[in-house]
Amino acid sequence: MIRLDNIEVSFGDFTAIPHLDLHVQPGEFFTLLGPSGCGKTTALRTLAGFIQPSAGTVHVDGKDVTRLPSDKRQVGMVFQNYALFPSMSVWENIAFGLRVRKEKPADSDRLVRDIARRVELSDDQLSKNVAELSGGQQQRVAVARALVLRPKILLLDEPLSNLDAKLRHQLRQQLKDLQSQFGITTVYVTHDQDEALAMSDRVAVFNKGVVEQVGTPQEIYDHSATEFVCNFIGDSSALTPEFVAELNRLSGAGLSTDASSYLRVEKASLTPAADGGTAVGLPGTVVSRTYHGLHSRYLVRSHGADIRLLVREDGGPQPEPGSPATVYLQPEHILQYHHAARNAVEREDQAVPLP
Amino acid sequence: MSGSTARSMVRSPFVLIVGACLTWFITAFLVWPNVNVLMATFFPDGSFSGRAAEKLFSSQRAMKALGNSFLLAVALSITVNLVGIFVVLVTHYFRIRGSRILFLGYASTFIYGGIVLAAGYKFIYGDKGIVTSLLVKVFPALDPGWFSGFFAVLVVMTFATTTNHMLFVANALKGVDYQTIEAARNLGASTWTILRRIVLPMLKPTLFAVTILSFLTGLGALSAPQVLGGRDFQTITPMILTFTNSPTSRDLAALLAVILGVATILMLAVMSRLEKGGTYFSVSKVSSALEKQDITSPVANVVVHAVAYLLFAVYTLPVVLIVLYSFADGAAIQTGQLSLGSLTVDNYVRVLTQQSGLRPFVVSVVYSALAALIAVGGLLFVARLLQKYRNWVATVFEYLLHIPWILPSALLALGLIISYDHPNPLVGGAVLTGTTVILLIAFVTVKIPFTLRMLKASFASVNSSLEEAASIMGAKTLYVFRRILLPLVLPAAAAIAALNFNSLLDDYDTAIFLAHPLVQPLGLVIKANTDGAEGVEGVANTFVYTVLLMVITGVTMYLVYGRSRQKGPGSKRLPAVPPAAVPPPAVSSVSGEDSKLPAAPVR
Repeated sequence: MIRLDNIEVSFGDFTAIPHLDLHVQPGEFFTLLGPSGCGKTTALRTLAGFIQPSAGTVHVDGKDVTRLPSDKRQVGMVFQNYALFPSMSVWENIAFGLRVRKEKPADSDRLVRDIARRVELSDDQLSKNVAELSGGQQQRVAVARALVLRPKILLLDEPLSNLDAKLRHQLRQQLKDLQSQFGITTVYVTHDQDEALAMSDRVAVFNKGVVEQVGTPQEIYDHSATEFVCNFIGDSSALTPEFVAELNRLSGAGLSTDASSYLRVEKASLTPAADGGTAVGLPGTVVSRTYHGLHSRYLVRSHGADIRLLVREDGGPQPEPGSPATVYLQPEHILQYHHAARNAVEREDQAVPLP
Repeated sequence: MSGSTARSMVRSPFVLIVGACLTWFITAFLVWPNVNVLMATFFPDGSFSGRAAEKLFSSQRAMKALGNSFLLAVALSITVNLVGIFVVLVTHYFRIRGSRILFLGYASTFIYGGIVLAAGYKFIYGDKGIVTSLLVKVFPALDPGWFSGFFAVLVVMTFATTTNHMLFVANALKGVDYQTIEAARNLGASTWTILRRIVLPMLKPTLFAVTILSFLTGLGALSAPQVLGGRDFQTITPMILTFTNSPTSRDLAALLAVILGVATILMLAVMSRLEKGGTYFSVSKVSSALEKQDITSPVANVVVHAVAYLLFAVYTLPVVLIVLYSFADGAAIQTGQLSLGSLTVDNYVRVLTQQSGLRPFVVSVVYSALAALIAVGGLLFVARLLQKYRNWVATVFEYLLHIPWILPSALLALGLIISYDHPNPLVGGAVLTGTTVILLIAFVTVKIPFTLRMLKASFASVNSSLEEAASIMGAKTLYVFRRILLPLVLPAAAAIAALNFNSLLDDYDTAIFLAHPLVQPLGLVIKANTDGAEGVEGVANTFVYTVLLMVITGVTMYLVYGRSRQKGPGSKRLPAVPPAAVPPPAVSSVSGEDSKLPAAPVR
């Protein structure tokens, strides 16, 4: 559906994106994820036609659109702040593109009302000024305005970033529902990993203009391809060579002691699994405990490594700081990266897989 | 918040002293003079009389002047918007080659305006003007008096008042969220559609406001019609001046001033009504900065570039010629023929060394400096109290202090003249009319609204915890004011004083009513020179005065705005002047309405 090939974007001397290849499947909810300044928005704007790449091509539905202006690309966009026109009513906002295309007024009205119904905006709300709407309603107006022109793809630029946490959760779901209802190919930009994991079919993790990994949310979480992805997604503890060596000794696993090694917080435990399994226990000392209600966060020092882990507050034993404890983990959960390559050991072929 | 009720104000001696001084000043100089004008108009002998109105309606001259004023006001509202919007779009919205240079050219009216600008245009395009002399040589059939009357007044005032657009409209344009423009483009809108349907509607509230300011500027115009209007085009304010000078027609002057005042109040009421009608600004929390737009049609692009540079020439030609001819000898000024050999600094030497040349300059500097210091010094305390106490007493005081903002300066001046031309107990039984003090009082009065608003804003920007911290440690009111607040507000206060000083330096509209005959400030001397009273030497002197004024204004504006802009965002100091209430330039309008602009609630 969307192909970005060999894209390079520079602003003057600064190269924002040195080399980018991305393929998005039809109907997919595809997310560009990364910290601020990583080039994800630049990539989206290149796709939208607001930025001309200095090299490479953009294809939408098999057609080369690299030199086409934004309105000829059949892409709809929802902006970070929705960019609703403050001097117009909701109806006028949604009808704007239709009127620019010189659709018949009757057709425009029918299309506007039709799309408004589908995003659950009432007729009453259509006549309101956009400033009178709540954040969630504004978002639906922005989506309706983009979709009424029947674009082939929908681009969403951090549409939830300026909302408070509760509304963000609610609208995240609404947005995802709208997308599956319309079945439209969607490219979504966010810096919020939680959002990316919960909403996406596939995620591309950006760092300094480079895609570090493309995969399903589970792939990038459980099998982070690079050290950056491992650190950016989820929460993990860095392990020391001594810790890894001890783990090798106890379990017989052949883990490298030169590589940077990490363990996700939820993969470590203070109690052995009920069925025994392949978990091994390493002795340590509880350094601190922070109570969170649902669970407590523990810091346990073992063989020089500070292992962070979560313990459910289900009434079980809760060791206090200073007391000895055993950290249980499975060697195959260890994520390892070589510094020079920056890629996951033995998993280099997985970086930027192309479907 | 403690101490915000009216009753608690009475308990503080500091408040009582300031309040007593303020009450006296407001009564004596803001309320009483204007009540007096109303009485002189409608109750000349203690009982109601419509004689002034009858006299007015039967005076053809006065009725014509009234009509002319409204004609000028309407025409000016249109022309200023046309030129002003174009200038703003060219410098801030469209990608135009050399827009930085264009901006500097259009901004030349920031550093000279009022009587100085009117005089400058007359010396260049007037019947004996430099450009006219050259034109007559090329086209002998040309009428030497081509640049006069309604046309000339409109042209000069149009170019003099686009400063409002450069300040307020340009500022509003910067507030337009660029994402809305991108969104419109993504939906297929053309450059022209985006401008017409998205950008201009968002500027509507600001455009309304500047339109009303332009209307008021045209209505109250004084110096431009006087200098360039000729016999056929006279307006209300010059008429008020004429009638004021003869005691038998003072009631007529008063009535005209009242009409002007009522029209002004009505327009300002309309403006604040429109303001409340709704802001079109950002329904969003994050917005992105505006990027310049390309004009896609090559033909339109060429046309816009051509018009932009033509306007640039119109704006800069007077400045360039004034600077050049300020170095020219008398012969060159008379013939318009300038050669390198005729350039000297003699004019400067004469103005700066001879008593007659230097005197008006010194008079203006002394008056302006005193008025600027008194206004800022006095209002420091008042602004502080008004910012601290929010109750009905404070609100009443604040409204009263805005009287000079809603009334034309001609009305205020007339009020002072007729209230203090006999011994008055309000000022200890003294007669003020005809003394040097009355102009100082008027200068201070005129500057009150602007000074008050700016000072209040800078007090409001001081973190209130500082004050609370100081008082928790036992500091008393005055001590907190002196040691905590004053140092923080001082840079802003200095900047406001400098801007006041600037705008008073070339004042004409107030001085023409009130100046002492032997202590004439610069504005009056420049006006006299445009009448040809002092011959070529007078013209040369005016050029020198103008250049000196431009230098002073330019330096002040740079010190107030230029440097604070260069300071990085890391700077923790308060901005010299709160950016939200950008004041207009010192000498920005031909009519003297500039005292209103800063206070204009333009967002």
